[in-house]
Amino acid sequence: MNANQPLICLKQISFSYPEAPPVINQLDLDFYRGDRIGLMAPNGSGKTTLFHLIMGLLKPISGQMEIFGKPVKEEKDFFEVRRRIGLLFQDADDQLFSPTVLEDVAFGPLNLGKSKTEAIEISRKTLEFLGLAGFENRITFKLSGGEKKLVSLATVLAMEPEILLLDEPINGLDRKTSGKLIDVLKNLDLSYMIISHDIDFLDATTHAIYTMANGKILVDQQMQVHQHVHAHPHGTYPHAHET
Amino acid sequence: MWSRRDHRRLTKTDIRRQTNVMHISEGILSGPVLASGMVLAAAGTAIGLKKLDYDRMARAGMLSAAFFVASLIHVPIFPSNVHLILNGIVGLLLGWGAFPAILVALILQAVFFQYGGITTLGVNTLIMALPAVISYGLFGRLIHKRPTIASTAAFACGSLAVLLGALMIGLALMFTEENFWHVSAIVVAAHIPVMIVEGIVTAICVAFLKKVQPTMLPGSARPQTL
Amino acid sequence: MINEPFAAGNSLIHNLDPRIRVGLASVYCFVIALAKHTPVLLAAIVISLSLIFITRVNPREIARRLVIVNVLIFLLWAVLPLTYGDPALFRAGPFSISGPGTKLAAQITLKCNAILLAFIALIATMPLVTLGHALNRLRVPAKIVLLLLMTYRYVFVIEQEYHRLLRAARIRGFRPGTNLHTYKTYAYVVGMLFVRAAARAERVNQAMRCRGFNGKFYTLQQFETVRHDWILATIITAMIICLLFLEWSHRA
Repeated sequence: MNANQPLICLKQISFSYPEAPPVINQLDLDFYRGDRIGLMAPNGSGKTTLFHLIMGLLKPISGQMEIFGKPVKEEKDFFEVRRRIGLLFQDADDQLFSPTVLEDVAFGPLNLGKSKTEAIEISRKTLEFLGLAGFENRITFKLSGGEKKLVSLATVLAMEPEILLLDEPINGLDRKTSGKLIDVLKNLDLSYMIISHDIDFLDATTHAIYTMANGKILVDQQMQVHQHVHAHPHGTYPHAHET
Repeated sequence: MWSRRDHRRLTKTDIRRQTNVMHISEGILSGPVLASGMVLAAAGTAIGLKKLDYDRMARAGMLSAAFFVASLIHVPIFPSNVHLILNGIVGLLLGWGAFPAILVALILQAVFFQYGGITTLGVNTLIMALPAVISYGLFGRLIHKRPTIASTAAFACGSLAVLLGALMIGLALMFTEENFWHVSAIVVAAHIPVMIVEGIVTAICVAFLKKVQPTMLPGSARPQTL
Repeated sequence: MINEPFAAGNSLIHNLDPRIRVGLASVYCFVIALAKHTPVLLAAIVISLSLIFITRVNPREIARRLVIVNVLIFLLWAVLPLTYGDPALFRAGPFSISGPGTKLAAQITLKCNAILLAFIALIATMPLVTLGHALNRLRVPAKIVLLLLMTYRYVFVIEQEYHRLLRAARIRGFRPGTNLHTYKTYAYVVGMLFVRAAARAERVNQAMRCRGFNGKFYTLQQFETVRHDWILATIITAMIICLLFLEWSHRA
């Protein structure tokens, strides 16, 4: 595939849960190497569903998907996708199912056919990169919320993906931890898409922020990130300015 | 989050609540009874594991964890209180998977509370899991019928699972020593209030699941996933 | 919160290779469970107590657990001496205390406590994760070990959900009593726990698939058997053989 071809290309994708109106409705998306995109949209607008469609966890009702230049349809097509795209789940407790940190981080590399020694080596390096050296034998459920989030990021990064999909990564994290996550993301040489409700976080980590409505991504209505200093009850949240 | 002291208090109450669960202590049963229990439990577990493909592992583990936690709940029944056992519901939700799920929950109980141990693991798994599978076979389909039939079936499922378990305890004791007759009779009798409570709770719980998440119950389509 | 009060420690037994501990505990517990003679059981109690002594775990925790387990034993003491039959130990009017019944109750008490103490000393002194890995090394089917470790992992998450649900009920004035409303509330709590567990299982399954899970399960922990392991294992094995010999000599 050539460099100008999108890594992820969705055409006219639709999806609906049983007995419910479509969450994703004829959605188009082209995601290129080097893209860093923020997705900010109300709850229930289909952001998480979109990520799950890309990973092959849900099957679209109609439309075509091409990922890394190849059409993907069947479960086996997605094995490759899941190796090269890392999805960070909203709830770290869903992602960390092993009792200890090291086992959880090594789980992905082992599944990719690495030997135990290699897997442990990769895991240690990843943990170290995230400032989690010494966490190897910690028990996952005893970690704090921020630590859990960073360890789940480690489990994803240990698979050495080319693209990251991050689903509300700083939800429930304090300033310090989200600041750490910003630093980590800036230092990664990866393309990624982030779902978040925090405009400051998206502003710091992404190049463009899109929104979703009626089951589509609104690319042409890029949200304008603006800075201003004035006091009102909205604080740092996005808000309309009446003029 | 709770404070440290809360943690300690909870641990104590949880352990105190661990008395009275449907099982047989270590050191009571004879060799042949222990051995038969192990062989049968192993067979049931093997069938259960065969039916658990890796896509359902997470589900079985999670339901086993929920079963473990729910069995810590004690509900009042004047003048005392009883434990929820819930093997009937576990049977409905997991079918033969009840064997490995209950086995695992019992291992956790042994390690956390020292309630039951190595030699009785087989017998105790059998006491809980076989009634679960039988209730599932008898009532699994009926719970989708008309509401009156469905709730009667769910009630019967919950209480039968406890009754069968109590009878199996009785049998295990009798096979060990004929003179255990009185003890067996007391154990079975002591489970009668538990049967009633389990029946009621199972009936309401099944009605709840039918309303909230019918795909969890047997005989309905699996949720839409790849 | 559920915890493992004996798992932390730094005694000879805490440091003993977990595989050896699981193996020895299994053999030892069965030997006690199958023993028929009181001297053997008395010896077993002494051995179990010495094992506990070596582990240096909190005696109060142990005592609490012993009390709970012996509640069931009290039932046997209440019933067996009265119902087991002749020959009587002594009579008082219509009541007679059965000799063999009392002996049986005493033997069961010894067995139960000896097994329980040994289990605490050898098994409860390792974290459950270690137990899972040891079972894996001892060729217990991988599916069971994976199931055990996952159940362990999520027991804590689900327990927190349970307390949240119960607190939500309590702050709205829920007071448990013997009535249908109470049972209904508990049934809903249980139902909700199962619904949330199933939903979470679906998400965990998705997360596992995203990381390439294909049914293979790996454990990373390596166990090493060092010289002091062999010495301790030999001593415990020798004690078990002594018990067997004692049992056999009484039988003959």
